[in-house]
Amino acid sequence: MRVVASLMVALCALAPIAAEAHGPTRQKVVSKIEINAPVDKVWAAIGNFQDMSWHPAVAKTEGTGGNDVGATRKLTLQSGGVINEKLSKYSAEERGLAYEITDVDVKVVPVTNYSAQINVTGTAEKSIVEWRAAFYRGFVNNDPPPELSDEAAVKAVSDIVEGGLAGIKKKLEGG
Amino acid sequence: MAAAARKCGQHGAARPRAGQFLFAVLAVAVGVVAGSRVASTENVTSARAAYITNQLGNSLSVVDLTAGKQAAEIAIGGKPAGIALSPDGMRAYVAAPESREVVAVDTASQAVVKRAVVGQGPLGIAVNPQSGAVYVADWYEHRLYAIDPQTLSITASVATGQSPSGVAVTADGKTILTADRDSNQVSLIDAATFKVTGTIETGERPFGVTMDDTSGRAYTANVASNSMTVLDVKAGTRLRDIPVGLRPYAIARAGNLLFVTNQHAESVSVIDATTFDALKTIRVGSFPEGIEADPSGQAVWVACWDANTLEKIDVETLAVTARITVGEGPRAFGKFLR
Repeated sequence: MRVVASLMVALCALAPIAAEAHGPTRQKVVSKIEINAPVDKVWAAIGNFQDMSWHPAVAKTEGTGGNDVGATRKLTLQSGGVINEKLSKYSAEERGLAYEITDVDVKVVPVTNYSAQINVTGTAEKSIVEWRAAFYRGFVNNDPPPELSDEAAVKAVSDIVEGGLAGIKKKLEGG
Repeated sequence: MAAAARKCGQHGAARPRAGQFLFAVLAVAVGVVAGSRVASTENVTSARAAYITNQLGNSLSVVDLTAGKQAAEIAIGGKPAGIALSPDGMRAYVAAPESREVVAVDTASQAVVKRAVVGQGPLGIAVNPQSGAVYVADWYEHRLYAIDPQTLSITASVATGQSPSGVAVTADGKTILTADRDSNQVSLIDAATFKVTGTIETGERPFGVTMDDTSGRAYTANVASNSMTVLDVKAGTRLRDIPVGLRPYAIARAGNLLFVTNQHAESVSVIDATTFDALKTIRVGSFPEGIEADPSGQAVWVACWDANTLEKIDVETLAVTARITVGEGPRAFGKFLR
């Protein structure tokens, strides 16, 4: 069992990460929210790659590597689904981070080659959190079924982004 | 350097002191030589327009490079990505993978004049600079098509490696190159016989391929290995791989410099084309993709997919000197300057 597990890990390490075949059109979801909280406080809450508890859909964050580029995390969702992610950029100075999904079942999130960046700007009173996501649909070939179409991918990512932004606002303004 | 020599010459002429006579003569002579060099460089007309495919906007932006703004946005449909121009600049050819079409746009009237279904996933597109034949790479059928530049009907077809992406043609029009993304190779195709004459191994997942006729080399941007591969096209060999930024997309050469767009690093890597030393990383808009050098060699233009901009990099200062807003999700995959 353990041998199988380490073999799986080895195979995953060999696989080209997030560069598999994909559909013809990269999709984009961009959203931002204003939060009545100091910019440093907002960054402190979302600037820890190893803790995504601010997102209402995330039940558990487990990972390694802290906030170093290359750090990984495994998100277990409230629904039971799992998303594996890798930190690709991190700047405390610019209050921003970027990450990629390295592995997710399209039944959990119907996307491939997903990457996103989250940035915080603002003042000692007010902040703006911006979340930008780039991804392809879940179906890599022509004529996707409806649940793996461009529209389904945009809807799913919009839900994640909007849910997350609302979650961070609630956490920081709610007391 | 030429500008400095010319300035030196003017300086010498303005101060004709006896003791400096010889210096002044020499300096003026240098100035004249330098001046003629400058003049000959200026004879190469800069591109006046850019044709930028906006994939999410389903359109083609016509950018007036002199005025520094979008002059028109032409509806295309089909999620356009690839772009190429006819040798006379009268036609822009757009590859729209979602509708599986090639769309021809008349650059004078800025109107779509012809559209045709080509294969299952037309993406990369290039024009033979000698014959005007249009080449289209099919991402799903793993083929390269030659199509008639007027009728857009298929005249020849050849199997390539898996998921051919970028297409390039040598200046003599004799050899076509495809970057076969999922085979980690470049295919070399004889333009006359339309047969594959050889393949050259590259880094992982080559996407854009650029022919550099001044050196006889080609370059691929390797998305998965975050590198570029330098190929000797005539010898059919892989010369070396050079690390660049995250998820490189395409490459352009201006002067003795190579410019590589790094999609996930919002940057352009600048590499010396002789020593292959990394010289600088320039911050540009988010998701830089299509890139092309101005024919004058003085500027490089970059389409930024996330930022919705066409950005100008000054080759001498290596600074971004213009940011022009275009349509939604510009990719400009190919040669887009006219």
